[in-house]
Amino acid sequence: MGLPLLAVEDLHASLADGREILRGINLRVHEGEVHAIMGPNGSGKSTLAAVLAGREGYRVEAGRVFYRGRDLLSMAPEERAAEGLFLAFQYPVEIPGVNNMVFLRAALNAQRRRHGESEIDAGEFLRAVKKKLALLDMDEALLHRALNAGFSGGEKKRNEILQMAILEPRLAVLDEVDSGLDIDALKAVAKGVESLRAPDRAIVLITHYERLLEQLAPDHVHVLNAGRIVESGGRELAAELERHGYAFLGEGT
Amino acid sequence: MSGRAAGRVSALAAKPEVQPYLDAFVLPEGEPFWLWREREESLARFAEEGFPSRKNESWRSIDLEPLAKNPLFPLAEAPQALAAAGAFQGALLARLEEARVEKKGLLFVLRDGRFDPALSSQGELPEGVRLGSISAAARSETLLRPRLKAPSGPFAALNAAFFRDGFFLEIAPGTILDQPIEIVHLVAAAASLSLHTRSLVLLGEESRATLCESFIGEGRYWRNDRVDIALAPSAELSRFLILEEGENAIHFDETEAVLGEAARFSSCAILLRGRTLRQETNVISEGRGARSVLNAAALLSGRQEANIVSAVEHHAAEGETRELVKIAASGRAHGAFQGRITVHPGAQKVDAHQLSQNLLLSPRAAVDAKPELEIFADDVKCSHGAAVGDLDEAQIFYCRSRGLPQREARGLLIEAFLRDVLAEATTPLARHLSSRLSRRLATLEEEP
Repeated sequence: MGLPLLAVEDLHASLADGREILRGINLRVHEGEVHAIMGPNGSGKSTLAAVLAGREGYRVEAGRVFYRGRDLLSMAPEERAAEGLFLAFQYPVEIPGVNNMVFLRAALNAQRRRHGESEIDAGEFLRAVKKKLALLDMDEALLHRALNAGFSGGEKKRNEILQMAILEPRLAVLDEVDSGLDIDALKAVAKGVESLRAPDRAIVLITHYERLLEQLAPDHVHVLNAGRIVESGGRELAAELERHGYAFLGEGT
Repeated sequence: MSGRAAGRVSALAAKPEVQPYLDAFVLPEGEPFWLWREREESLARFAEEGFPSRKNESWRSIDLEPLAKNPLFPLAEAPQALAAAGAFQGALLARLEEARVEKKGLLFVLRDGRFDPALSSQGELPEGVRLGSISAAARSETLLRPRLKAPSGPFAALNAAFFRDGFFLEIAPGTILDQPIEIVHLVAAAASLSLHTRSLVLLGEESRATLCESFIGEGRYWRNDRVDIALAPSAELSRFLILEEGENAIHFDETEAVLGEAARFSSCAILLRGRTLRQETNVISEGRGARSVLNAAALLSGRQEANIVSAVEHHAAEGETRELVKIAASGRAHGAFQGRITVHPGAQKVDAHQLSQNLLLSPRAAVDAKPELEIFADDVKCSHGAAVGDLDEAQIFYCRSRGLPQREARGLLIEAFLRDVLAEATTPLARHLSSRLSRRLATLEEEP
């Protein structure tokens, strides 16, 4: 296997108040792979996603992260996005007053500009978006509403996947994209994600439950506990966790 | 200089900031005697009051010192044709183009405070619409006399003494005008001067009109604009103001609107450019069920100061007022809002809501908000609120995580914040106002 798309090496990170959350994460993700990171509440799953996306409020104390061979941690969030990193938020932010479609097009054009490409015109963009909408079983009306404002939980999550479909990232980190969804919404989201699997794209699923993994067979499953990956394996690991819970983790380390 | 010197007023012992204006005062040739009387009375009133002091609540956030020290006089003579008006003309014509809502719309241009027929649209006016120079109208029509009485307030009085022109818009009863009437107040003169324009808007019963006024110019000048509006029963007026004045310009405008029964007045002011901006709207709700919507937004940077002032007087029952004022200040800019809604005895069932929302974009910017309710009736629904905050970090990060650079993300959020005040605008006006706002945002220096 060639150079990994993402290489996390002994990553330690803490909150602004000094509490250490990540205590030495090691993770390698190659193109075309789907990884699942599971773990109990407070294990550091969302912190890992936030640090990878470049959210403020976290301090990296030690370790390095390479993305496509570059030092990810030195890049601004918008630069990471333009280089193909996408984070689907656990709690997508509501932005009243910003039209959903206007925002999507602005985001896509900002990324294209950074690569010296021309901006996409409104007509062409609308056609592209409509194709993706069908895939996600999403109502077109959502496009014309303010970004996530007043969206239901399911609508927000689908909107995240729609953004992913439009922005076509190389590495997508999906933070609990399955939480708070009813079974139909979960199926729609899973179907959307499944359709976005590609040989040159990697997906990291951060999840609490095995539900999503039944739909999206991951290549690798990692168990995160107290800021460390304590167990890695294939799909069967997820099933085992589902049966036994996280109680065995104490012995695992 | 032409005209008659006004000896009677100059003899008054005046405050120091007033004297230069008394000395510069002349009565324009050819005006009716009643108008001269109003001018002299207004000048006397200004001489008595002088500039508002810092103790004057409604003027305390504006620094009048520079104006008191360096008086700016009105042009004594009518301005020359634009071709001879100086080096700015090319740029100004381009800005005039930008100020247009629709290329073919009705356009009335006041250049350096006077009607410029050459720059205005020459087409025929729709039936029931009268639009022209107030100066020309006042010379021939005694009927305007009660409409042009000496107003109260020092700068309104100065305006009434010195105004040379303005626009006069009259809409006949029952006339419905969908196309907006565009008024452009353009400053083209190279010299520092003051401009006192006085305008009049009269809407007949059950008529409806939309007015869009742009204030544009370059350099240093003082604009002192006054508009009186009277809406007959069930008349509806939507008025939009866009302030894009010269970088060192001082802009004061004051509007008084009197609303008849079931009349509806909506005002939306966007304060974008100019050193010192003060926008005042006073609504007198005289008729039962009269409604007013007062929206305003200011986007400020550098050392700009802006003051949005309003007073709504409910004298009749079942009136309604909705007021939304948003100020975004960066750099060392200072914004202020003072709004008062008064419900007089007997004005039952009034429904009034006032909201002031403000964004502080830098540590040295400042915003003061002072919403006020005075209620003398017992069966009313009134509320007010004010909030000051910064942009939401979570929203900024969300935008950046999708690839928008920090600056663009902030711009998007500031625009979204301000755009709420445009709710009353329909296309093509909404598009025009949005584009002026975006243009200003693109040049916003968010220096600390």
